[in-house]
Amino acid sequence: MVFWITAAALTFGVCLVLLAPLARGRTDAADSRVHEIEVYKDQLLEIERDMARGLITSGEAELARAEIGRKIIRLSDARDAGVVGGKPRAVGSWIGAIAILSLPLVSWGLYAATGSPGYPGQPLQARLQSDPTQASVDELIARAEAHLAANPDDARGWDVLAPIYMRLGRYGDAATAFASASRLDEPTAARLAGEGEALAASAGGQITADALERFERALALSPDDVRSRYFVALAADQAGNGEQARQMWQDMRADLPQESPWHGVIVAAIENEGTDASPGAEAEAIETMVAGLAARLEANANDVDGWQQLIRSYMVLERPQDAQAALDRARAAFGPGSPEAGHLVAYGLSLGLEVEQ
Amino acid sequence: MIVEIGHFALVLAFALSLVLSVAPLVGARIGDARLMGIAEPASISILALIALSFAALTVAYVQSDFSVANVWENSHSAKPMLYKITGVWGNHEGSMLLWILILAAFAALVAIFGRNLPATLRANVLAVQGMIAAAFLLFVLASSNPFERINPPPIEGQDLNPILQDIGLAIHPPLLYLGYVGFSICFSFAVAALIEGRIDAAWARWVRPWTLAAWAALTGGIAMGSYWAYYELGWGGYWFWDPVENASFLPWLSGTALLHSAIVMEKRSALKIWTVLLAILTFSLSLLGTFLVRSGVLTSVHAFATDPTRGVFILMILIAFIGGSLALFAFRASTLTAGGVFHPISREGGLVLNNLFLTTAAATVLVGTLWPLLVEAVSGEKISVGAPFFNMTFGPLIVPLLLAVPFGPLLAWKRGDLLAVSQRLFAAFGVSLAIALATFFIVDRVSALAAFGIAVAFWLVFGAITDLALKSGVGKVSAPVALRRFIGLPRSVFGTALAHAGLGLTTLGIVAVSALEVERIAVMQPGDAMDVAGYELRFDGIFPFEGPNYTEEQGRFTYSDRSGRERGEIVSAKRFYPARQMPTTEAGIASRGFSQLYVALGDRAPDGGIVVRAWWKPQVLFIWIGCVAMMLGGAISLLDRRLRVGAPAARRATPARPAVEPAE
Repeated sequence: MVFWITAAALTFGVCLVLLAPLARGRTDAADSRVHEIEVYKDQLLEIERDMARGLITSGEAELARAEIGRKIIRLSDARDAGVVGGKPRAVGSWIGAIAILSLPLVSWGLYAATGSPGYPGQPLQARLQSDPTQASVDELIARAEAHLAANPDDARGWDVLAPIYMRLGRYGDAATAFASASRLDEPTAARLAGEGEALAASAGGQITADALERFERALALSPDDVRSRYFVALAADQAGNGEQARQMWQDMRADLPQESPWHGVIVAAIENEGTDASPGAEAEAIETMVAGLAARLEANANDVDGWQQLIRSYMVLERPQDAQAALDRARAAFGPGSPEAGHLVAYGLSLGLEVEQ
Repeated sequence: MIVEIGHFALVLAFALSLVLSVAPLVGARIGDARLMGIAEPASISILALIALSFAALTVAYVQSDFSVANVWENSHSAKPMLYKITGVWGNHEGSMLLWILILAAFAALVAIFGRNLPATLRANVLAVQGMIAAAFLLFVLASSNPFERINPPPIEGQDLNPILQDIGLAIHPPLLYLGYVGFSICFSFAVAALIEGRIDAAWARWVRPWTLAAWAALTGGIAMGSYWAYYELGWGGYWFWDPVENASFLPWLSGTALLHSAIVMEKRSALKIWTVLLAILTFSLSLLGTFLVRSGVLTSVHAFATDPTRGVFILMILIAFIGGSLALFAFRASTLTAGGVFHPISREGGLVLNNLFLTTAAATVLVGTLWPLLVEAVSGEKISVGAPFFNMTFGPLIVPLLLAVPFGPLLAWKRGDLLAVSQRLFAAFGVSLAIALATFFIVDRVSALAAFGIAVAFWLVFGAITDLALKSGVGKVSAPVALRRFIGLPRSVFGTALAHAGLGLTTLGIVAVSALEVERIAVMQPGDAMDVAGYELRFDGIFPFEGPNYTEEQGRFTYSDRSGRERGEIVSAKRFYPARQMPTTEAGIASRGFSQLYVALGDRAPDGGIVVRAWWKPQVLFIWIGCVAMMLGGAISLLDRRLRVGAPAARRATPARPAVEPAE
């Protein structure tokens, strides 16, 4: 509301300012040559001053005066030409009225097309200080980060932030946060294990040498640390020592208390060890994935990569009719002849689909 | 809300500039003083609205309001406050807004101080300014709106290009735009004169101060840009003949020509048509620079916008204004009356010679700048025209001009005596020659060309001093009288002398650095030392350092002179800005008098050492000191509120030869 009032006041003010000269009845303008003669008169005075300063001689001054005098005479002869002014003319009033009217029309019209009138400003400081329950996760993290930037020695802050980073998939930041907590306070098993897990996650699930080193240090501090034991076993499994891994997991299972949430994870790990997921389950998973993709493209067809993936999936599942239908739908969605459609047709042809031109 | 008010003010300013570009023009045509009267309040209101808009954008930057796309793209909450503010114009959209703000400010100045101008001339000038403003406001609103919003707003910005996070950004673009846009006033005056079909004495009286102001600002802007490139890019160069640098140099050359031809016009009512054409060409070259930088046809540190639609838009503005004004010139120039006659050997003649050289030099640079673009457009082949081309073409053109400069101010108006002037300059000539010979035999025997260059530089400086001495009558009148006369000299005489001497100082710096520079490259381990032009540079090691929004590795050096005394520390660094994932080089510079020791860090060698490039740059600071002198000369001349009349020299038949030199 304040915005609209301000905008209206601005428009109104500008209109008023323009109205002032228009409302004046007087339309006479001075003869432009008067100005010119004034300049020449000033020049004559200047010559006197220069002579008084000793900058020019009287002979030179005489010549200059004569030159300027000739110019003034020439102007005076042509004096009657070029006088402007007279009675106000109707056409002038019309143009003035159109000019004033055009201000609100052009400005409000253009602003309506390009502006975002209802959207308040979002200064960062105010956003960070607003009610936390209204804030987005990103904002909460930004607050925590701002707090830590101001108090970088707050190890507990890093402890809180690190698992949030893990949850959001910011594994690199999570590893840094765990490492900072260890550095500022002391490396505990939980911090080291967390850092190892973050390092492994940012390596796409591979237990790297760095990550393994963290887990081993954690176990040296606390031999019962479940997380580290689990990942050390996983590292063994990834290194090809399946038997050893299975043994380690089974030992863990025996040690764990009954209510530990780790039971499920370990049972799954033991079952998966050495065997790939069963073929039936895999096919089912693929079917689900393909159905999901098809539904998504139905909702939003503007996704070349998505269509390409869908067509390929149907071919892998040996459902060429579906692949053909998907290609036709995609072409219709992008419009035949568009570059996207051309790309998908070429792709379809490479898979052996038919395209009627 | 303040952001949206800024946006609305910008739109309203556009509507108002449309009115400004039509109503006063029609008023002047049909002789309606009411319509002409709109021009003044409209110009001032446009300035107020654009200032409001600019302030709103600045507030958004200061508050890190990332709901504004422009702020999000170019700012970061951790950025130091100075760079938050300068970041407003460190990007395409914001810099366009600054450009328009300055344009509006100039128009408002004409509106306020131009009350003694003939009414129709003032109305026409302001209407042309309104057209320029309307075109660029439409450009900003349609293709580069700085007030576009993002919902929901991101929590952190993408940061400003690290190269721009420097004090240079606070000075270089505003000064440069003051220059570019200042020439728009000369352009508007020229177009208004063509529309009216006549040029009166008031016209001439007005154009020169505007040219002077724009020229002084442009000189400062270019010099600042050159110094910034020198210390920030880490190559130790101050001028690269980069197309964008050329784009700013072109209006400078033609603006310098305009400045001199405007003097002839103001004092002698001659060269009117030529001055009008130069005014049009100078602003056209400014617009061309804007186009080259923003269209994406060039890749350079300056090219921020690579959006082709913007390029097409600016090209259209360019064609409309340049084509329109030149067409108007073709139709109407014949209606302008030609000015008085003069002898070839006279002050006017000297200024014409200056114009010939400067415009030819500008044409040369223009060809060198546009040629690669043309070749690429026609044949698709990429060629580059670099320093060798410009040195071979621009150099031979500029040297005779430099040699001729000291003669100009000593020649009399209308008809001069070259022989007498040469005699008066004999002392300056002798001293310059002596210094050149001394340089050749004592400092450096290698290059005769360097000695010649140094002679030219001193010739300019002593020529300017000679001018001042003669005008105050040294040697002809008693010392107290000479002193009194010296103090009483018009400011424009000091301005001329200072600007011409500044040109000499800049020449001195350029010649000294080009001919006598020493460059060393070495892989250094901590504790190593190397010799750079007699200074011993010892590498102390690499130290990490944490800035507000960057981390850097500082290479610390200690340098000592020939006697082995330690002279100070030099810190050269490699910075890394995480927000943009971009590294920059921070050169380490130590000044010794007017010379500098310049150290830049290179890559790390595998054995733990680091590549160090070090330069000894003799008298390098004179390059910029000279530019500052030129700028000051312009400013002093501008302060001279006197009317200038060039009193013509008497014919030989006139009995008494003038005892004193003709005045300014």
